[in-house]
Amino acid sequence: MNLSAGYTFTCPFKTNSGNKALEHLPVELSSLNAFKPLIITSLNLTGRRAIRTLINAFGDSGMTMGVFDEITCNADLNVIEQIKDIFVKGQYDSIIALGGGVVVDAAKIVNLAVSQKTADARQLSGETDICGPLGPLVMVPTAAVTGMETSKYAVLNKKTFVSISLMPNLVILDPRLTRAKDSKTTAEAGIAAFGRSLEAYIAPDKNPFMDAYAFAALRFIRENLVLAENKSCNKKASLAVANAAVMSGCVISNTGQSVLHRLGQVFQNIIQVHPGVIIGMCLRPFLDDYVKKDSHLVSALFHPLAGDDKYAATPEAKRTDEVLKDLYIFLDEIYGVLKGKMPRTINEAGIPRYLMDDIFEVINKEPDGAYLRTIIERVS
Amino acid sequence: MILPDYYEFCCRVKLVAGHDALEKIPALLADMGAKKPLIITDKGVAAAGLVDIVVNALKDGIAIGGIADNVPPDSDLKVVNQLAGLYRDNACDAIIAIGGGSVMDTAKGVNIVVSENATDLMAFSGIGSLKRHLKPLFAVPTTAGTGSEVTQVAVIKDHEKHIKMAFGSYFLLPDVSILDSRMTMTMPPFITAMTGMDAMSHAIEGYYCLQKNPLSDAHSLAAVNMIYKYLPMVTKNSSDKEGRLAMAVGACLAGISFSNSMVGLVHNLGHATGSVCGVPHGICMAILLPYGLEYNMHKCEEAIAELLLPMAGEEIYLKTPKAERADKVVSLIRQMNSDLNSLTDGRHARYFSEVKDRDGKQMVPREVLPQIARAALCDGASVYNPEDTDFEDNLIVLEAAWEGKPLDGNKLKKG
Repeated sequence: MNLSAGYTFTCPFKTNSGNKALEHLPVELSSLNAFKPLIITSLNLTGRRAIRTLINAFGDSGMTMGVFDEITCNADLNVIEQIKDIFVKGQYDSIIALGGGVVVDAAKIVNLAVSQKTADARQLSGETDICGPLGPLVMVPTAAVTGMETSKYAVLNKKTFVSISLMPNLVILDPRLTRAKDSKTTAEAGIAAFGRSLEAYIAPDKNPFMDAYAFAALRFIRENLVLAENKSCNKKASLAVANAAVMSGCVISNTGQSVLHRLGQVFQNIIQVHPGVIIGMCLRPFLDDYVKKDSHLVSALFHPLAGDDKYAATPEAKRTDEVLKDLYIFLDEIYGVLKGKMPRTINEAGIPRYLMDDIFEVINKEPDGAYLRTIIERVS
Repeated sequence: MILPDYYEFCCRVKLVAGHDALEKIPALLADMGAKKPLIITDKGVAAAGLVDIVVNALKDGIAIGGIADNVPPDSDLKVVNQLAGLYRDNACDAIIAIGGGSVMDTAKGVNIVVSENATDLMAFSGIGSLKRHLKPLFAVPTTAGTGSEVTQVAVIKDHEKHIKMAFGSYFLLPDVSILDSRMTMTMPPFITAMTGMDAMSHAIEGYYCLQKNPLSDAHSLAAVNMIYKYLPMVTKNSSDKEGRLAMAVGACLAGISFSNSMVGLVHNLGHATGSVCGVPHGICMAILLPYGLEYNMHKCEEAIAELLLPMAGEEIYLKTPKAERADKVVSLIRQMNSDLNSLTDGRHARYFSEVKDRDGKQMVPREVLPQIARAALCDGASVYNPEDTDFEDNLIVLEAAWEGKPLDGNKLKKG
């Protein structure tokens, strides 16, 4: 790590994680001067049970809230305008995003629209100026997350918004909500968080603050992901994976746009595939290339992956090889549990040729497009 | 890595580190819509030429609304109100606090008054009384130690009414903390050593106290690693630029850790020793740190042992049998104090009996130890210590720390 180079780091959200974390919501909201939240969620994507658990957590706090539960995969700025109206007419003062992915993207953009008093939310775009702190935004993730929920990015209908102000003020991780219905959901979220944290951890421009988050995220995933996949009843392992996903959103907001992350995004934007699927495919070729570029940075990964004892006992010269070995074993374990439910190649994913053409068109526009293409070709 | 049944973690401060981090202030202020900051500092900081460095870094980018360097060593309500007046008279729209704990506390107090238009600061005291964003507050720490650039508390004293007002709110967190190597370059070795050990005590207590969690842990491990490596280096060589920046960052990491996992016995007894005998806080931390580890050893041995790798590195970690790793951490901290003692020609005290004032008079006479042990019972820091404390145990620890002898675990009550 080059300690001498200047850097900036920020993580604007507070994390509350663990048993009955949801029950802290009324107190946490009032400390943000918020007393009437609008819950933004999706009946189809998040599920009735999660919504009920969240509402019940308010118990006899006396807080009133509204629920908008009609977010769909195809949400666009028309929905944002619709929710903005509900927010303003209902005199809500804060937003709770319940769920993951598009639900949170939508909630971030609603928060932008209502905080900046945008006249017509349909006119919002990536170029819209976002200044100063926005209104209170609380994120309550379920297991079905992309890891980008806590990040400074929001993507809706191919429009990308970027600002630290879009990040939530508070994240509530409650084990009642972070258990997945199936192992694939857990794996997708875990791999996405793992890949993004891994890239940041071996980035030449990493700094000690970001490193702390990436280290914790990597170790949590390495220690818990397979366990959480295998036994969805294992509350603690699922919660650890969800914690890592939350941390990875902070990590990605403090690092330059990275290879694995960008590849995941392109596929997600064009064919709505979970970024974890693509990041999982590309991890091996990416790391194989990276070792040739800077094996010293890769060797540092052995610490979060293998733990203190193995790390200390392995001479530095051997760590890079051990990282690769450990990583391949880990990936095999992750995919092994899924028994073919998650594709390991583009071919297995069954992405039609014409859509791949669209994807390549976007990739080619990237400054390092030629290189990104070689990765995709190797996992095709 | 352990996931507790429940935890909370928060550090919303934007951290800007570098050898020229100060130069980024105008752009950062502009991002927040501020154009005219009031600089709050104290005479010592100004005399050391640090305010001039900041002003020089700012002058091309922004108009400074005023410089107030009259913050006393002990925060004072009168000064808070006077500075709030200055802020308003000069139509300032942000605050830059340059200094240590008292300057930060005062700046936070001023920020409450000017943001809330408060006439009575008392109305905002306590935990969670603040409900909204205050004016932009930038913290520029001038010691690598207190961590107050990342804490959400402030203590303001009303010397007329003899009351101490405490404030706690995430809205008190500075918006931006600037960690610039130039701010600590002129710190003399003795101050460097004790403030650095203050930071070390945050990193270590943050790793064993009751609210520890995966994120505070990660911050502590990084902090311990940096402080252990760089503190002796900068104590020996003041102008070691890289070391100074690393210490500023290490102390900040430690501050983030302890403000989330809280502190325990070391701070508990340290606060009491400070208030009874006037011993500088950093000295108390340095002397008491090995005892905090020993006192909590039976409850936290595993956590303490985990500190050996970031401190001493792989070779020593491997050479030390697992069962001895925690003890090794304690002995390395003692060794660190000893090394700092030699590097400062004996000014960095290792035991309470060694602490002398300017006239060479002993600051902690043995007979006041019971008074300190009693005073510690009224200090909140004991709440988060893994093992319960009481008067008798406090006294045993203080006696040992006075003589500089390891703690006799058999004498203590273990809960």
